[in-house]
Amino acid sequence: MPTMTVSGHQYDLDSRSVEAALQGALPEPIQEHFVVINGRRWPPKQVLALVTGLDRADFTTHQARRALTRLGFTAARAASPRERHRAGSPAAAPPRPAVSSTAERSESSVEALRPFIGLWVAVRGDEVLVAAPSAKEVVAWLAQHRQRAQSMFRVLDSEQAINGAAPQ
Amino acid sequence: MRFAFRALPAAGGGTLTPRPVIDIALEGLPDAPMECLLDTGALRTRMSAELAPLAGIELSGALTEEFYIGGLKTAGVLARVGLTVTDGTDEFSWDAPVWFCDPWPHPFGWAGLEGFLHYFLVTIRAYDGYLDIEPQP
Repeated sequence: MPTMTVSGHQYDLDSRSVEAALQGALPEPIQEHFVVINGRRWPPKQVLALVTGLDRADFTTHQARRALTRLGFTAARAASPRERHRAGSPAAAPPRPAVSSTAERSESSVEALRPFIGLWVAVRGDEVLVAAPSAKEVVAWLAQHRQRAQSMFRVLDSEQAINGAAPQ
Repeated sequence: MRFAFRALPAAGGGTLTPRPVIDIALEGLPDAPMECLLDTGALRTRMSAELAPLAGIELSGALTEEFYIGGLKTAGVLARVGLTVTDGTDEFSWDAPVWFCDPWPHPFGWAGLEGFLHYFLVTIRAYDGYLDIEPQP
């Protein structure tokens, strides 16, 4: 297990211990940087604070990001709202779509939702803001972080759940 | 207002056919509009009963009806609530009957005749994968 120093303290960490430390927690809103853990996007500072118990003021985003990438997690930078708009993924208003753009957007939305099968999600455009076992937890998260979703629903865990409502 | 059909991942892999849905916000729950399947064959507009307390909607003592859905017996409780739909640019609010159901096996609500279709001119363009709704006076 690799040893790393964060804010003057030494920790023995590996990817499994990080994943375990996140059990039961929900990712906070992504400001700019994120790491991918268990198929979800997490703010690096939130992860390192949960793993080490340190105060977030004790380290920077870049230190957190570097520590987590050393453990094998993917890190990236979220597109700014302007960049997302340019990329054709509007937050709330679907553009007057052509057939191909609708199909492309559907595909990216589906892939964003796939890790959350069986969970309630709140989405904005193609971005999954939060996923949780109940609608109550999703609503609480939105209120806590002052986020507004475009839509909330449960990602199907069984195709019967949809076929009963709308026969194919 | 235009709403793109929404596709969902299939639990067994692949993708389910994109469906016509509208995101409808309950009064008291403006930050979490509920995805509702547009169901032109449904008389009622229905949502899961677990949403009612989150929106502060009181259901005790209200009119209740039992019915079967997909072979499952469930009970719906009627409440007249404020609803809002927006596409991010335009917004429309109306007051409508919604049946809050328990149990509710579906991952979304249903937008039916009462509660939704009575209030809008709806144009479904399934080939292009979207629907347009226009509030009616």
